[in-house]
Amino acid sequence: MAYNFSPDSEPTTRTLLRQVLDTAVPRTPRRARSTRSGAQRDLLETPSSRRQRSQTKMTARRRSHTATSVDRLARVQASGHLEEQTPRTLLKNIILTAPESSIVMPEAVVKLVPSPQVVQPSRRKSSRGSLELQLPELEPPTTLAPGLLAPGRRKQRLRLSEFQQGMDWGHLSQEPRENADASSLTSSLNLTFAMPLQPQSVKRPGLARRPPTRRVVDVGTFLQDLRDTSLTVAPPDSGPGKPAQLLARKMEEVEAIAMGLPNTSSVSGEDGIEPLQNGVGEEAEESMEESMSVREVEKAAEEQGSARAEEPEGHTEVAAAAGSLGAIEAKEPEGSSEDEDTSASPELPPSTPEFLRTRRLQFPEPAPPPSTAVLPSELPKHLSARIPPRPRIPGSRPRQDPNKAGLNHYAKLFSFYAKMPMEKKAEEMVEKCLDKYFQHLCNDLEVFAAHAGRKTVRPEDLELLLRRQGLVTDQVSLHVLVERHLPLEYRQLLIPCAFSGNSVFPSQ
Amino acid sequence: MMEEEEWSEEQQRFSYLQRLKAAVHYTVGCLCEEVASDKDMQFSKQTIAAISEVTFGQCENFAKDLEMFARHAKRSTINTEDVKLLARRSHSLLKYITEKNEDIAQLNLEKKAKKKKKLEDENRNSVESAEAGVEES
Repeated sequence: MAYNFSPDSEPTTRTLLRQVLDTAVPRTPRRARSTRSGAQRDLLETPSSRRQRSQTKMTARRRSHTATSVDRLARVQASGHLEEQTPRTLLKNIILTAPESSIVMPEAVVKLVPSPQVVQPSRRKSSRGSLELQLPELEPPTTLAPGLLAPGRRKQRLRLSEFQQGMDWGHLSQEPRENADASSLTSSLNLTFAMPLQPQSVKRPGLARRPPTRRVVDVGTFLQDLRDTSLTVAPPDSGPGKPAQLLARKMEEVEAIAMGLPNTSSVSGEDGIEPLQNGVGEEAEESMEESMSVREVEKAAEEQGSARAEEPEGHTEVAAAAGSLGAIEAKEPEGSSEDEDTSASPELPPSTPEFLRTRRLQFPEPAPPPSTAVLPSELPKHLSARIPPRPRIPGSRPRQDPNKAGLNHYAKLFSFYAKMPMEKKAEEMVEKCLDKYFQHLCNDLEVFAAHAGRKTVRPEDLELLLRRQGLVTDQVSLHVLVERHLPLEYRQLLIPCAFSGNSVFPSQ
Repeated sequence: MMEEEEWSEEQQRFSYLQRLKAAVHYTVGCLCEEVASDKDMQFSKQTIAAISEVTFGQCENFAKDLEMFARHAKRSTINTEDVKLLARRSHSLLKYITEKNEDIAQLNLEKKAKKKKKLEDENRNSVESAEAGVEES
């Protein structure tokens, strides 16, 4: 049983135990049973040798132990028959009958990674499982990246290991692990579970929502103006009173938020704030592109000349307003949920842009009364007509050229493939170019069809177009291009293929 | 033997191309001289060479396109319609071509009209002479 074991840099627990077990003189009368155990060697050899080999992966030295493993097994077998169990035998049983899950298997690695701070020695003598033994052996690779993936994967692997160990031992030790028992075993795992949750939120900045950067908006004038407009709006707003009520309710929150703004401290009127909420949301969306609106607001505010006590807190632009406006915008949908009356809150976001748009229409008109007549009529119309809510993308224009509506998608694809951040102007230029290109393309197709005396565009026209572009040559035909680039469904539609029963689809 | 023939054919084609290119080059040179005397600017030889090369390449493209257009319209002859289709990109060129086309059409019409008149006149003359002859007789 002498093996060449030279202690080197990694005296693992297992190796230490092995040393202890092998070097110490066995005191139990095992030799008498060696013959009987020898017959059972073969039965146990395969599973145990598998285990042994899996464990031998840990250290290179293990290979020398495989030959001796059989002897140990024999001893285990023999010792198992003994009624008297010594700690030595227990440890041996533990080592030899450990489940196949070894350190090298991912589950153990995963388990180990999030628990670098686990206290080792207390668990060495635990009878719960070799996994704990394995935990301290691995030098914890304190990289949080696998730790990030750990929570998701670990749960899967935990279940696997649980199954395995349940098979081997019928232990329930894994369940408390997941149920976070108070045992020392799981207490550390509590730690481990707790740990990655924090880095997960911290280390994934890409998924986190960056607060959208907004241009500075003069909140004071907005408050003023919105207050004035809302005054005129609120009274005639009997029909669509719900949004007004909700707006009124949101006021407080917006007020609270606005309080954070250094300049908007004197907002008192509820009515004034309700459009502010929408105004802020809407303005926040467009503040990046429409600084004119700010001037409009100022003009309107000056023209309307509100008699309110709260004087606009100066027209100094607030740098923090941009961020807080973004916060307001972000909180707005949350604020709606926080309202007591959340029933009509889904209506609110779609209605507010329209409300604001109507409010915007007032800006060129210095007199609010004529616009108020327009507003109530527009509001219910908008509420009913725009129930498919327009997605409120921060930073995007609400009004888009319908001809260019679909090109936005292609421009974004373009910016994606550019692998570099693109300016807005560049994207707009790309949209323009794409627009012209497609217009040209369709004109050509129309002309080609007319040239052939037809009114319908057919694949021959497209082939002519592609030939002019140089994509279709004498070597490369249209069918080849179809096969190369189009998905299977389109290929089936375009290239006639013979099916069973003498039928060709699509028919020529 | 076959290879030699093919090679000589290629040589012939090549020499033919060269002659064509030389002709284009000469024409471009004359045109540039006119423009130079007109605008009081000078053209370098590389410019003229570049222009002639581009022109030659574009002529090849035009020819292929015209053939494609004619085939697309299921014709075997290139028509003025094909030419107009080719020139649709540049508006001024298209206008020019359409005007010329109309002029040519008018000319053709006039020619036809003249021919008809001549025929009619001849017919009348023959009739008249016949009548006159009848009358005289």
